[in-house]
Amino acid sequence: MDVEVLKRDDVSLKLLVKGVKLHLLNSIRRALIAEVPVMAVDYVVFMENSSVFYDEYIAHRLALIPLSSEKALEKYKSPEECREAGERGIFSEDCFVKLELSGEGVKGGVKTLYSGDLVSGDPDVKPVYDKIPIIQLLENQRVKLEAYARLGRGREHIKWSPVSVAAHKYVASVKIDEGKCSYPQCRRCIEVCPRQVIVEKEGSIKVDEGKLLECSLCRLCETVCPSEAVKVSWKEDEYILYFESTGSLTPKRILIEATKVLEDKLNTLKKALLEGVGYGGG
Amino acid sequence: MLFPVRCFTCGAPIGHLWDEYIKRVQAGEDPAKVLDDLGVKRYCCRRMFLSHVDIAREVLYFPKIS
Repeated sequence: MDVEVLKRDDVSLKLLVKGVKLHLLNSIRRALIAEVPVMAVDYVVFMENSSVFYDEYIAHRLALIPLSSEKALEKYKSPEECREAGERGIFSEDCFVKLELSGEGVKGGVKTLYSGDLVSGDPDVKPVYDKIPIIQLLENQRVKLEAYARLGRGREHIKWSPVSVAAHKYVASVKIDEGKCSYPQCRRCIEVCPRQVIVEKEGSIKVDEGKLLECSLCRLCETVCPSEAVKVSWKEDEYILYFESTGSLTPKRILIEATKVLEDKLNTLKKALLEGVGYGGG
Repeated sequence: MLFPVRCFTCGAPIGHLWDEYIKRVQAGEDPAKVLDDLGVKRYCCRRMFLSHVDIAREVLYFPKIS
C-alpha cells in the first residue's frame, strides 16, 4: 500500500492510494462518514421561547452546528453508552456537555443570536464557527435554553458525521495509438478534453501524466476520435480518496479514527469466530 | 426562514458565511466573486446562497401559531 498526499489544508485531504482493492478503500470511506464519533447537540431544554420560531426549528439548527471534538473523544464516554444514558434521562457529566444560550430582543431592531453566543460548560467542546445565526429576536421576545451535546456516530444522525464530502474515484489511463492517430491533421481530442489531459508537445500528441489525476473519465476524447486511436480506461488498484471535514476534527484525525473503528470491528468479528464458531487453533 | 446552517446536499457548514456574503453582495459586489473568496466551491453550496430568500425578516412580525 502506497499513499501520497495530493492536497492538504485545514478542512480537506486528498490522497492518492495505490495497491489497495476498491472494497477496502470503500469501507474506509464509509467509516469516515458513518462511524467516526463527534460531538453534536442531542437534547435541548427550553426554559423560555417567546420568539416566532418553534422549539423544534431552533433545536434542529443547534444540532447542525459543528462542535470541536478533538479532545472530547478521549474525555467522554462512547456514543453507545451515552445514547442509552440520554434515553434514560441521565445527563451525566461524563457523557453530556451543557451549552447555554439566552438572549433578548432589542428595541427597534432585530437581534440575531449566533453560535458564538453559546456558553459551553467545557472549553474543549465549543462551536467551530462563531458566526452561524441561530435565531432572530424582536423587542420583548426572549429565548433561554440549555442544549446537551454528546458523542454520536454518523449512522445514527448526519449531525454526528465528521465529514461533509467523502468520495473516491478511479485514476484514468489514457492511451493514444500513434499508428492509428492522424495527429497534425486531426486535433479533435485535444480540443474536446475539458481537463486538458491530452496536449501537444514538441510537435507530437501526448498525454499529460500530471493532469491524468484530474481526468473525469468522461470519454469525450474516445467518442470524438475518428480512427479509434484514443483508449480511456483506469489503472488497477489505484484510487483518489478525497474528503472534507466539517471542522469538528482535523482530516488526519478523522482518517486515523476511521481506521481504528474498522480495526475494532474486525477484531470483534475475529474474536466471535474464535470463541463461538470454534475455528480457534485450526 | 433563516439561512441554513449546512448545505442541503453535501452537509458542509455554510451558515457562518451568510452575513459576510449578503453584506458584500448588497454593497454591489458580484456574488460569484464573493463565493469564490469565501471558499464555497461546489455548486450545491453555491445555490444555497444564490437562491436564499430571507423570509425570516417578514415572519418575525407575525405571531406564532401554537
